[in-house]
Amino acid sequence: MSAEAPDGSGEWRRLHPLSPLLRGGVVLVGLVGYAASQIYENVLSSVGLDMFAPDEGGMEFDDGSSGPGDPLEQALAHPFIALILVAAFLGLVALANWVAWRFARFRVGGGQVELRQGVLFRQHRQVRLERVQAVELSRPLIGRLLGLARVVVQSAGGADSTLTLSFLELGRAEALREHLLDLAGRSDEVALDPSGAPARDGSQPRTPSSPVLDAAARPVLEVPNGRLFVATILHGSTIALGLVLLLGATAAGVRSVGPLALAGVPAMIPVAIGVAYSRVKQLLVHGNFHLADTGTGVRVQEGLTDLRTTTIPIHRIQALELVQPLWWRRFGWWRLKVNVAGSGSSEEDDHDTTLLPVGTLEEARVVLSLLAPGVPTAAWGAAVLGDGPDGGWQGVSERARPFDPLSYRRNAWTDAAGAVLLRSGRWTRRAVAVPYARIQSLSVRQGWLEGRRGLATVHIVTAPGPVEASLAHLDVAAAEVFLDAIADRARIARRRAEPARPYLAADPPGLVDWVRHPQGSPDTERR
Amino acid sequence: MADPLPVPPAARSVSVTLHGGDLPWRPVSPMLTRVRLITLGLVVAPALVATVVVGVLLTPWALLGSVAVVLVGLWAAWLVARQVSSISWVELDEEIVIRKGRLFRTLVSVPYGRLQYVDIQSGPLARAHGIASCEIHTASPESDGSLPGLPVAEAEALRARLAARGEAQRAGL
Repeated sequence: MSAEAPDGSGEWRRLHPLSPLLRGGVVLVGLVGYAASQIYENVLSSVGLDMFAPDEGGMEFDDGSSGPGDPLEQALAHPFIALILVAAFLGLVALANWVAWRFARFRVGGGQVELRQGVLFRQHRQVRLERVQAVELSRPLIGRLLGLARVVVQSAGGADSTLTLSFLELGRAEALREHLLDLAGRSDEVALDPSGAPARDGSQPRTPSSPVLDAAARPVLEVPNGRLFVATILHGSTIALGLVLLLGATAAGVRSVGPLALAGVPAMIPVAIGVAYSRVKQLLVHGNFHLADTGTGVRVQEGLTDLRTTTIPIHRIQALELVQPLWWRRFGWWRLKVNVAGSGSSEEDDHDTTLLPVGTLEEARVVLSLLAPGVPTAAWGAAVLGDGPDGGWQGVSERARPFDPLSYRRNAWTDAAGAVLLRSGRWTRRAVAVPYARIQSLSVRQGWLEGRRGLATVHIVTAPGPVEASLAHLDVAAAEVFLDAIADRARIARRRAEPARPYLAADPPGLVDWVRHPQGSPDTERR
Repeated sequence: MADPLPVPPAARSVSVTLHGGDLPWRPVSPMLTRVRLITLGLVVAPALVATVVVGVLLTPWALLGSVAVVLVGLWAAWLVARQVSSISWVELDEEIVIRKGRLFRTLVSVPYGRLQYVDIQSGPLARAHGIASCEIHTASPESDGSLPGLPVAEAEALRARLAARGEAQRAGL
């Protein structure tokens, strides 16, 4: 590959030659392994070393399609043919890899990133640089072993709008990320700064004053892996599983129901595997968690095997949620999640919406003061621990008691500078903040039973994410007052936001210009 | 009803309410009831025919099924009429508010500044009755701003008004 021109030169460039192989990854390794073991068996049996071959009797005879007399089987059994097959298979893999590599090209230039790939099903994806939300480096285990990394370009427009360049050499990937961040200009971040007048044109190289995010990051906190481990284990699913196992073990000791309990073991295995999988995944995703302050956002570095670096600009945060599951209360731990514009809502991608997988309230406050500087920390304290109507909290009435027998005194809202704060939950404590300037729409819903008791639920709709802001079972009159108050403040916040951010107003990330593109997002397209 | 003239935005002195209220809430076209009843008929009629045929040819017991189908159909028709008559909407200075439902009430308030685009859809049956549905999209798929059963001209006019106000009041994400 020609290494003279840098990746950002506007020329079509190729990925690392091993990329298709790595992308095929586990599946391909499995296939090769399977084929090799099959052929190995055949080779062994053909030279009369049957006893070394794994026992194959049952399966082969049972399915009846390939008895020992099958001519194909016999042909395959010949060692040379088998070797030729292996060679041919490897050759085919290599050829497919080469072809896929030849056909995958990317280009940075003309104000956009483009990726072309595919041989039969061609795909051409382009992301306009000013729509770029974040550029991530991702390093799966197998890639790390080979010194390769993946560059993930996220843009506004749902889960399917990422452009992934996999794989590049690490140095090249880092340089490309810097370059893309530079080109994308993070113009909106500059726009937040009243002193800087950002250039609109994303294709112009930025002046040195443009923030290269990684340079000025100030480390804020890290989460010890030990604490993360304990916190991850302390999860509803594991605790339920533990209880069931305990009950089962007790029952197994009792003679009369013992066999019955043992009979239940196979049924529990898939459940246990599922629980273990989700817990281990959480650990792998959030291990080695480091959070740094970049001035205009936070940078999160995490991952035990697949190390990821994500930068989340503050103004892209649409809603924040601080949660304490019951099991964490003893340790005083909290989890902080946010809705980020353009990062999609799929559960899979929770790595860039979790800004504190587990931390003390003090740590959570530090992060919150970075993310929502307007909201006073005292208000957060009241939101997560408080109860009753003290301190301006307006809650649900006694009438909601049948719906929330435990938490009806907790469920309330208040107005904190620039954001609405909601608190809820008696066992699982929860506090949600939505900045007024980020509210997309409001709705009031009333189910049948709620209607009978004169209650209604208010939803504050923001860009999609893990955080859901709603206050359930308010009195209808209180819900109408709430709606009115929120709508009013959102109105003021929108008006205030408009002149301050002309760039966003003209071409907001994640918003489709519906005059020019009434059909939908022009960001990414497949052909 | 089919008057496509722009409606002057209502004064924002009264708050938006879940029931009743002083705002000039506007109903949707009664044609929507007819369209939905026809759709319902297309589902109910084959079931009715099938049960009657079976009842006549095989066993009279199947006629009980016919009675059940008729009853369910009548109940659904009553429901359709009530649902359609409960849909109302109002354009305020900075939001459009849509109310729906009786047993399960919803009220959706979408600021013009958050609009991304507006879809106007109309199937063959709705088109034959001169109505269209207007769907208002924001950056969140959860803002459910659909307004069915507007006369086509009014839907177009609404879209034009929403476009103008959205452009004028557009806010960032």
